[in-house]
Amino acid sequence: MGQLLAFLIKYRAFLLFLVLETFCIWLIVQNNDYQRSAFINSSSKFVGSVNETSRDIGDYFRLRRVNDELAAENARLRELLFSGTEEIPIDSLVKLTIDKDTTDSIQYILKPAEITRNSVQLVNNFFMINKGSKDGIEPGMGVMNSFGVVGTIRSVSKNVAEGISILNTRNSVSALHLKSDRVGTVQWDGRNPKRAALLYITPDVELAKGDSIVTSSFNAVFPKEVLIGTVDEVSRDEQNTYLQIMINLSVDFAKLSYVYVIKNELKIEQDSLMNSNPLDIQ
Amino acid sequence: MTRNLATILITFIILLPLQILVFRNFVVFDMGFCFVYLLFLLMLPLELSVALGMVIALISGLVVDLFYQTIGIHAAAGILLMFVKPFWQRLNSPRSGYEVNDLMLVRTYGLGWYLGYSIPLILIYSFTVLFVEAGSSGLFGITLLKATITAFITLIFILIIQYLFYSK
Repeated sequence: MGQLLAFLIKYRAFLLFLVLETFCIWLIVQNNDYQRSAFINSSSKFVGSVNETSRDIGDYFRLRRVNDELAAENARLRELLFSGTEEIPIDSLVKLTIDKDTTDSIQYILKPAEITRNSVQLVNNFFMINKGSKDGIEPGMGVMNSFGVVGTIRSVSKNVAEGISILNTRNSVSALHLKSDRVGTVQWDGRNPKRAALLYITPDVELAKGDSIVTSSFNAVFPKEVLIGTVDEVSRDEQNTYLQIMINLSVDFAKLSYVYVIKNELKIEQDSLMNSNPLDIQ
Repeated sequence: MTRNLATILITFIILLPLQILVFRNFVVFDMGFCFVYLLFLLMLPLELSVALGMVIALISGLVVDLFYQTIGIHAAAGILLMFVKPFWQRLNSPRSGYEVNDLMLVRTYGLGWYLGYSIPLILIYSFTVLFVEAGSSGLFGITLLKATITAFITLIFILIIQYLFYSK
């Protein structure tokens, strides 16, 4: 017993080191799974308010660019309004009805929010917005801005919410090549924040540089045909099973400012139907 | 002694908010971070016990983690740094030897000693942070580059801050 005690005292620094590192590794693993909310969550009230204040100061320096973007978006929406082929309500920013097909329609509600924190240099990037459960934000909602898809909400507190960005190697989005209607998956490879890979497109599809890659209607998160990016580079892999495609992302993640959170009114219905008919996965 | 304690406390109170508010937005070439708060961990005197040093690293690391959205990673790297620090200090002692109370700064033992003391520790820190964050070895090359650039930028800023605010 005495020897054991002596041993413990002699190596107490090393033992404490092991204990603390284990604690940290536990924290890292807890936070690893992107759907599970961790024990220490960075979308806490205090962290959120500090970020908000810091962002408020930075806002003044971005006003000009944000104004330009909003004006450009307004112009686009006005054009749609005048084109008159489709009926779009005047308050299109708050409520946007997108027809899924001719027989039924899914209603998506867009809630404007501001990015209070964002990163692009890590391998797994996250962002934070200034709206939370108080404003009806829930985990799993999609996030987009006027240029295209930004990411998905991961965890929510009362006033702020944390989202997982497209620039995260653990996040992938179901995508569609608009010209051929082929479905693939957009996945970031952790290298260049302006480019991502488009996977699972077979070599028989003809792709040209500049082709639009949009969201597919396979998930209940994003509306159909929201832009993700444009094709930049196509090459064949060795086995010739899939094409290796790099796309230029349409959103400049380094300059994110205002975004829309997408609420799918029929998500619960879609998900419960999907869960009652589970797919057979080998 | 009291003066040193005051210096440590003031550094902590100023450097940590500076790290999470200012230097978090400061990224060079889209690749390098600047972990300027390491100056605080590096300046802690030899007198401080290893255990207390690791607890301090845990607390400051977790605060930084909360704002970098990398829960646990900075804390783990900081604890590793503080654990290795005493061994490295003993190996790399200046010619005159250490005074137990002295702060580990350029002004106490000179630039040459400080570079030898801080570069390996900063490298350990930035490599731990970036490799744990990358998770797999699939991005080995780019992570290596990022970690090296990060260590370099961190060192430069730590030196600049010392020459500006900690001169004799």
